[in-house]
Amino acid sequence: MTVAPRPYTLVAEITYRCPLRCVYCSNPVDFHRSRNELTTDDWRRVFSQAAELGVMQLHLSGGEPVLRADLFDLIRHARACDLYTNLITGGTLFDEEKLRLFRDAGLDHIQLSIQGAARERAEMIAGVRSHRKKLEVARLIRQIGFPLTLNVVIHRLNIAELPELIAIALELGADRLELANTQFYAWAAENRSALMPTREQYVRAEEIAREAIAKYRGTLEIAFVQNDYLSGEPKPCMGGWGRSYMCINPTGEVMPCHAAAVIPGLRFESVRDSALEKIWRDSPAMNAFRGDDWMMEPCRTCARKEIDFGGCRCQAFMLAGNAAEADPICRLSPHHGIVESMRTVPATDAPLIYRDVKNSRALGKAID
Amino acid sequence: MSADDSAWRPRLASRARLKFDPIAKQEMLLFPEAALALNETGAAIVRLCDGARSIDGIVDQLSKKYSDADRDALMREVIDFLDTIRTRGLLQ
Repeated sequence: MTVAPRPYTLVAEITYRCPLRCVYCSNPVDFHRSRNELTTDDWRRVFSQAAELGVMQLHLSGGEPVLRADLFDLIRHARACDLYTNLITGGTLFDEEKLRLFRDAGLDHIQLSIQGAARERAEMIAGVRSHRKKLEVARLIRQIGFPLTLNVVIHRLNIAELPELIAIALELGADRLELANTQFYAWAAENRSALMPTREQYVRAEEIAREAIAKYRGTLEIAFVQNDYLSGEPKPCMGGWGRSYMCINPTGEVMPCHAAAVIPGLRFESVRDSALEKIWRDSPAMNAFRGDDWMMEPCRTCARKEIDFGGCRCQAFMLAGNAAEADPICRLSPHHGIVESMRTVPATDAPLIYRDVKNSRALGKAID
Repeated sequence: MSADDSAWRPRLASRARLKFDPIAKQEMLLFPEAALALNETGAAIVRLCDGARSIDGIVDQLSKKYSDADRDALMREVIDFLDTIRTRGLLQ
């Protein structure tokens, strides 16, 4: 059996509730079933256990984490555990008082999403009026003195806006800009044909990002997260399964990543029932793809297996039907042809499926 | 601006925080999405980046601590280290 390594990062998805309806959302499509959220005490216990286990970075995420009435207490407790605490938010529920409270509670950093540069397009992607409020909140965040990462999920509908997005980040005085190309899971997978950029668009965007990264080094850090369908490079997903990263969903299930629930047969244990250390070390789901014993060919004998870990397990399941296969993004995968076919963008725009409770119910029924 | 600019008073960026890792028993510089493990000198330099001291001032202070070290070598180490963390946006 593989010895459990030390976890460094915990993503705490403290709620799936969200006022936004983004078409690329990474929450599970059947999120409406997760109603029984962990209590304040549960999360406090989990943060303490995570710190003892060696976790350094805590990301408070959602849904919209600001919807939790106890967020102030959670931040305060996280800082008492000396965790570097980052809040991942859509920003629409902030006011100055709340920001000051969070600063006083010890929040280290805020990551704020915007959906595009032009308001109408951004709100078409978010599915609600939100853009002006977000920019207003970004300015407040900087005024109060929080470090700010601006995050933009990139896809066909906004990929032409990269220069404007970079200009917005500079104008706002953000420390960091994440140009995160859509990863095709959950809601993004439902909307794939509408969101997949063309190869020409992607190559152009990569060029613009590369130039901007060099130009603003030291002033604005720009991260360009690749679209693996178009880059052709399997991603070393989560830096390897159960290696340094874990995610806990609103009901307390501990997962190697937020998408892992799509893989059938994995049973996730809850922090309601066991200590985090025991789950991290012993749970069958955390151990399912640790190390390389599970690997099949071509991964098993591949020179890159310690670099990309065979790519993403969820994608292997979604595209090849078996989570232990090589990620079909890899040219060496026998299923690579399916990725080639998905790169082709249909000429007409497919209708968008918005992330909301109504659509979650409808898609949940389709899964049953 | 470059690390050998005599007017520069480096200060740790607000998004970065020094933390002692009790498990690996070393100082870590934490910032969003990543962390740098620091050796003893690195951590000492970071602590001296208070926005008031110049590079010379930092080296003076370190010379007291590492009295057997050559000042020029120490200066080079400080400049190299500051350049590394500055290009990651961790200094202002």
